[in-house]
Formats: sequence, structure tokens, C-alpha cells
Amino acid sequence: MTALDHSGNPLRAKATFLGRMHEWVSTADHKKLGVMYVTTGLLFFLIGGLEATMMRWQLAVPDSSLLSPSDFNRLFTMHGTTMVFLVGMPILLGVANYIIPMQIGARDLAFPRLNAFGFWLFLFGGLLLYFSYFGAQGLYGMGSSPDVGWFAYAPLTERTYSRGHSTDYWILGLLVSSFGSIATGINLITTILTMRCPGMTLMKMPVMVWVMLIDAILIMIAMPPLAAAQVMLLFDRLMGAHFFDVQGGGSAILWQNLFWFFGHPEVYILILPAFAYVSEIIPVFCRKVIFGYPLMVAATVSIGFISLGVWVHHLFALGLSPMVNTIFMGSTMLIAIPTGLKMFNWVGTMIGGKIRFDTPMLFSTGFLALFLIGGLTGVMLSVVPFDWQVSDSYFVVGHFHYVLFGGLVFAIFAAIYYWFPKVTGKMLSETLGKWQFWLLFIGFNLTFGPMHVSGMLGMPRRIYTYHADRGWELWNMLSSIGVLVQIAGVTFFVWNVIQSLRKGKDAGADPWDGWTLEWATTSPPPEYNFEEIPKVYSCRPLWDLKHPEDPDWKYE
Amino acid sequence: MAPDDHSNSKQQGIDLPAPTSAPFVCAFGVTLIFSGIVTNWAVSILGFVLALVGAIRWWHEVLPDNQKECIPFQSERPIVKPKVGGVAHLMTADSPHRARLPMEIHPYGAGIKGGIAGGIVMAIIAGTWGVVSHGSVWYPVNILGSTILPTMQGDDAAQLAQWHTASFVFGILIHAIMSSLVGLLYGIILPMVPHFRLAFSAIAIPLMWTGLTWASLEVINPLLQNEINWLVFIGSQVGFGITCWFVVSRSERIGTMQNWSMLERIGVESPNVPPIGGDE
Ligand code: HEM
Ligand SMILES: [Cu+2]
Repeated sequence: MTALDHSGNPLRAKATFLGRMHEWVSTADHKKLGVMYVTTGLLFFLIGGLEATMMRWQLAVPDSSLLSPSDFNRLFTMHGTTMVFLVGMPILLGVANYIIPMQIGARDLAFPRLNAFGFWLFLFGGLLLYFSYFGAQGLYGMGSSPDVGWFAYAPLTERTYSRGHSTDYWILGLLVSSFGSIATGINLITTILTMRCPGMTLMKMPVMVWVMLIDAILIMIAMPPLAAAQVMLLFDRLMGAHFFDVQGGGSAILWQNLFWFFGHPEVYILILPAFAYVSEIIPVFCRKVIFGYPLMVAATVSIGFISLGVWVHHLFALGLSPMVNTIFMGSTMLIAIPTGLKMFNWVGTMIGGKIRFDTPMLFSTGFLALFLIGGLTGVMLSVVPFDWQVSDSYFVVGHFHYVLFGGLVFAIFAAIYYWFPKVTGKMLSETLGKWQFWLLFIGFNLTFGPMHVSGMLGMPRRIYTYHADRGWELWNMLSSIGVLVQIAGVTFFVWNVIQSLRKGKDAGADPWDGWTLEWATTSPPPEYNFEEIPKVYSCRPLWDLKHPEDPDWKYE
Repeated sequence: MAPDDHSNSKQQGIDLPAPTSAPFVCAFGVTLIFSGIVTNWAVSILGFVLALVGAIRWWHEVLPDNQKECIPFQSERPIVKPKVGGVAHLMTADSPHRARLPMEIHPYGAGIKGGIAGGIVMAIIAGTWGVVSHGSVWYPVNILGSTILPTMQGDDAAQLAQWHTASFVFGILIHAIMSSLVGLLYGIILPMVPHFRLAFSAIAIPLMWTGLTWASLEVINPLLQNEINWLVFIGSQVGFGITCWFVVSRSERIGTMQNWSMLERIGVESPNVPPIGGDE
């Protein structure tokens, strides 16, 4: 055992800038890594948002020539790739990193160094992707970024159609960061299965822990096929193989299947954590236990399972046999059942509760409303003939932004407002938070609501401009105006974080009167989380401690 | 509580994995290996060397023993304090603990009955409108039938006023199924609506349903749009809502089995099963 010199708080306060940097770079602490994950994710969120803003600016009016067609292609490719792989993934892994060990009463993840390795792989992978802006033609030429869309369909990605190295950067950047995600997935599974504190049986885990367990399993199942497909594509591009090269006897459909075999589980990998956050927040802010805990767990498991068997709904327009289409239509609709069940359980938790609409709860409620719409348009899309009408149109863009932005991002903001006090010891401002929520909520609906209409009117996605005679002008103008409102909302958030870090109200250990173990330690928590490993008797250990006359464990 | 394996014997602090830059170096190396593919092979070589250095450092961290760092206890120790004052609970006579809402529900049958009754009222309103405006009771049922009968898609008002056997059968069938299912939904949802149940069934739901139909008809069956009188449509929905509400809310209420044991729920009778709610 070696006791290193820079332990203990007083010494640390004196550390130099370089010393602090070294501390972050060399840390294996799940909390520091969690903070780095989330911060990086939020920075990428700003970059991805900037890309989206440029696209909406271009599309605000017909026949606009602000961006060239090829710039536009690069922007939507980088926007989609960034939001999924460099915003959604790191934030969900980061929050899990920080919160899961605390909720199960552990001191770290099972493999702390592997955890650090995973984070750095993610970060370097992301940087490699963005390095394409400078290096995509090889170091010597002019750079340009990938432009093949976030699902990189063959044969567009073959050498014939994609010269230079931009597609290679897309492959390699994601490959490297997906190694990181797989490592962290293994880490989370091991941690949850083996490091729970005494008394925490599987059915006494907080809902969030259950959901993240299933999420990590999905990561383990879905990520390797993507990596494999990307390596095959790399072979095609660099070594003359023909996996996806139609002229050479390869199959473009193979890529679509491989990609979406990863891609659909991936969207559930992204939304499950949102379910996790609101499942923690809603009960605390309604002062009630979560409605139907066992059903919640069962629904999570079945969502995880079914989501592995629906990928062909992204291929409805391909011309597969009616039999295949029908089967996947059925399985896709099936997934709405456990998902709907969860919606009812959240609403059931709210009914009769003593609801406090603090910012975390506001965002959770916003999540419920927006995710409901996204889920319903999803069910509409699962109807094959309907999908034929609107596939690859702005309707689909509307659908997945309602689930990913209205769902995931709103839930992420809920989570940030909920756990920021734990992480920093400071409260975020409620006033600024409410401003942010309403601006974002209004701006979001203004941007993405009209897309359903322009999509039904036949506007294809990924076009860089359109003529004035199609009847799409109004809807596009509305969408673009909405972006301005959203920017205002995000500005409030950034301002709130900076302000609150500098002079926010002190949070204390347990500002929300919470029930799970992370609220049993100081804010911010000491490096070892808990001086003594806690012992739990029910799903709500802190309730039991706070109400010895009426503990949960008597009735569970 | 038992000291866990991480804490050292003197209990002044807790051992955690020592900081190490090995994962950072190794990850950077791995990234460079891949970057070399699109830049220069020398980058890959450098990456390989870095990854190896990182990996060896990493192995030394964990073999033969985990490198640890002792973190001294911080002075501040939060204690979760019991709260003064009790907590208000929703209780029923037979609930030992927290009750879940709703505590009483209407039998499912009541919802279906309400749906059928509402469906009849709706048919009467629609039929009356048919007679008044087109001189035919069959008009509304033909509208419904024509949504799924391809042969009737282009029919004009005069044709829709005539008797069609197929359309009558399908129209009534659709109407009956929809009415009883919607009635069932009413029956399930009504106990969960905290206040204003009549307004909920007679105003809110009919308006929402009309809005949905109105908005989606263009996609489902654009031709039909011209044939429907939306005021009458709303009127018949309101008729349905009031009737259904009336039937459902007059039905007996039954307690949910939320506090029953599994044995009671499946109807096992035995002296060992304590009668909580099972004794009717
Ligand atoms: C009720 C559940 C859902 C159903 C039934 C559903 C159904 C569908 C269908 C059929 C499509 C294909 C549309 C097309 O390309 O023609 C689609 C696209 C998409 N969905 Fe969903 N969906 C659901 C939930 C979600 C969730 C929860 C997410 C993510 C959080 C999501 C993200 C996406 C994305 C990103 C796409 C578009 C991918 C692309 O083409 O770029 N969906 N959805
Ligand atoms: Cu999908």
C-alpha cells in the first residue's frame, strides 16, 4: 500500500493549475470521471447545437444559398453523429458513473482504472472524429468532415463515392469511442451485480439502477455489431474488400441490417437512462413511492428485450417481403406496450401526490408530455403503409426529435437540476431554471412540431434547400424561429451553471428530501462516498431512517 | 456495522485505488494506432509504443498488489436525522399501510354497458340527423361503413342515403366494437379522475376525440371530410359521454384488491389465510 502525498482536502486546495490538471487526468474516481463525462457531453451539445442552428438558418427561407450542398451534408452528418455518440452516450455513462455506485452504497465501480480508460477512449474518439475537419484528406490536403449521414449507408460510403478520408474518420472516431462504451458497459454490469451494499437485493435496488443495468446489457449486445460492421467497411475502403460494394458483388442491404441491428437498440440505450432519471425524480417530487415498482422493472426488461427485435422498421421502404414487414410492424408496436405501461406508472405516481414543481420536476413533466407525442408518432410510423408515405421525410425528423430531445435531453436537464447540488454542493437557481424550461419547451415545440406537417406535405429530410412553391415555407420558418427561442433557453442554462458555481445557495446533504443513498452523504461527497458502507432494508433506505415510526421495510 | 475490506486497520481513512495516468496514456496510444490509418504509419507506431507503455504501467498498478491511496476521513459527517411529525397517509379501513389510488373502481362490465348504452344514444342522434338533413336513417351508418368498404369510397350523398347491406353490417360492427371499447376505457379512467367527472366525460373527451378525428381524417379517408357535419359529430359524442358517465357512475363500486395477499386474490380459502379484505 502506498499513501500518496496529495490526499486530504487541505493539501489539495493549494494545488497548482498543473497539479489539478494532473489530478483529473490521473483520476480513477467514478465521481470525477462522471463529471468529466457530463461536462464533455454538454460541450459537444453546444457544438452539435451550433451545427443544427446553421442548418435551420439555411432552411428558414426557400432557395437559400447560405450553405453549399456539401457543407449541408457535412453538417447533418456531424450533427447526428455528435448528438448520438458524443452527447447522449457520454452523459448517460457519466450520470451512471456518478450516481450508480452511490445509489447502491459502493465506493467506486468494480474496475476503476478501466473506467478511466473508457472515458479517455470516448474523448479521444470524439476528438478524432472532429479532427476530420482538418485532416480528412490526409494530413497534407485540405480537410473536410464526414458527409454520409449518421447511419452512413452503403454504397455512399464506398471508395468510389466517398473519396479522401472523411468516411474513414467517421469509422475510426466512432470505433475508438465505442470501445470505451463497451468497457464501461461491462463495468456497470459487474458493479451492479456484485457491489451492492448489504441488504440491497435485486428487488430493493432503486429503479434507476435496474434501468441502467438493462441499458449496460444493451450496450454490450448492440455496440460490437456496429464495431464489426465498421471494420468490414474499413476493409472495403482500405483493402479492397467488397462487403458492401454492390458492383463488386457485395450487399448494401447488409450494411442497413448491421447498422440498424445496432441502431435501434442504440436509440433505446439513449432513452432508457431518461426513464431512469424521471423514475428517480417523480416519486421524490410527488412525495410518493413509485407506482408499480415490479411492473416498472418488468417493463424495463421487456423493453430491452423487444428493442433487439425491431430494427427492420428502419428498412420498411426497402422493399422487403410483406411477411417480413408485417412481423416487424408487430414487434415494433409491441414495444409500445411496456413503454405505455411506464407512462401510466409515472402518471400513477403523480396522481394523489403532493407535487412540488421545482425545476427537476418541471423538466420531468415536460419529458412525459413530449415523449408521449414522440412515442405516438413512433407507433404511427410502425404502420408499414403509413411509413411508406413519410419515411425519409421531416415527419421522421419530428418523431425522433420528440423522443430524443423532448425525451432524453429534457430528462438530462431534469437530472442535472436534481443532482447538481449533490455534485457541487451548490443549488442551481430556480428562477433561471424555470426560464430555461419554458423557453426550451416553447422553442422545442415550435421547432419540431411543424416538422410533422412539412413532412406530411412531402418535404424530404436532408435536402439543403427547397423551392418556394411547395407550401413548406411557413413550417420551415416556424421551425427556424423556434431555434432562436431554444438558444435563449440554453443560454439561461449556461448562465445558471456559471452563476451557481460561483455563488449558488449551499445545498446541504439532502436538499430535495430524497430517499436513495446518494443523499445520505455530504455534497459534494467525499472520495470514499460513505465512511461506513450502509445497510438497507427497503427500496427507500433514507425514508426508513427519516421515519423510524413508519418504515417501508415493514410492508415491502 | 462491519468494517469493509477497503478500510485500513486504524480506521483513519479509507483505501481507494491510487491515481494513475496509465489508462490515459494507454487510451491515447490506442487512438493513435487507429489515427495512423488515415495519417501516417509512423503515428500508428508511436501509438503502439504509447499503448504498450500505458499497459505495462497499468499492469504494475494492479500486480502483484492493487496500488492504493489512503483517503483520510473528512471532518463533516452527515447523519440522516429522523423527522419530527408523522406523515399523512391515504388509508382505507382494510389497508394496513399506504393505499394506492384509486381505492375503488367500477366493475369492467359497467364500462362496457355504458359504452353500449352510449352507442345507442349516439346512433339515435346520428340517425335523427340523417333523417333531417338527408332524409335517410342509413346515411350515417353508410359513412362509417364506407371507411373500410373500397367499393363505396367515391359515393356521393345520394348513394350514401340508400340501403347497403354490407355497409350496414360493417358500420354497425365498427360502431359496436368502438363503443364498447371506449366505454370500457371510460369505466377504467373515471375512478381516477379526481374532480368534474361529468365535465370530463361530456366535454373534455368528446372535444379531444373530435379534434383527433378531424385532424387525422385527411390522412385516413379524405373523401369523408365533406360528408361529416362536425357539430352533429360533437353532439353525438356528448350524448355518448353523458350516457356512458350516467351508466358507469350508477354502478356499484368495488374495492381494489391492493391489500390482499396472493392467496386471497386467487381465492384460496384456508384457516391460515388471514381475512383482510376477502370477506364479502
Ligand atoms: C413507441 C416507441 C417507438 C416506435 C414505435 C418507433 C418507431 C419508429 C419507426 C417505425 C421509425 C422509422 C421511420 C422511418 O425512417 O421511416 C423510427 C425512426 C427513428 N426513431 Fe423511433 N420509435 C419509437 C421510439 C423511439 C425512441 C424512444 C427513440 C430514441 C430515443 C427513437 C428514435 C428514432 C430515431 C433516431 C429514428 C430515425 C433514425 C433515422 O432514420 O435517422 N424512436 N422510429
Ligand atoms: Cu427504431
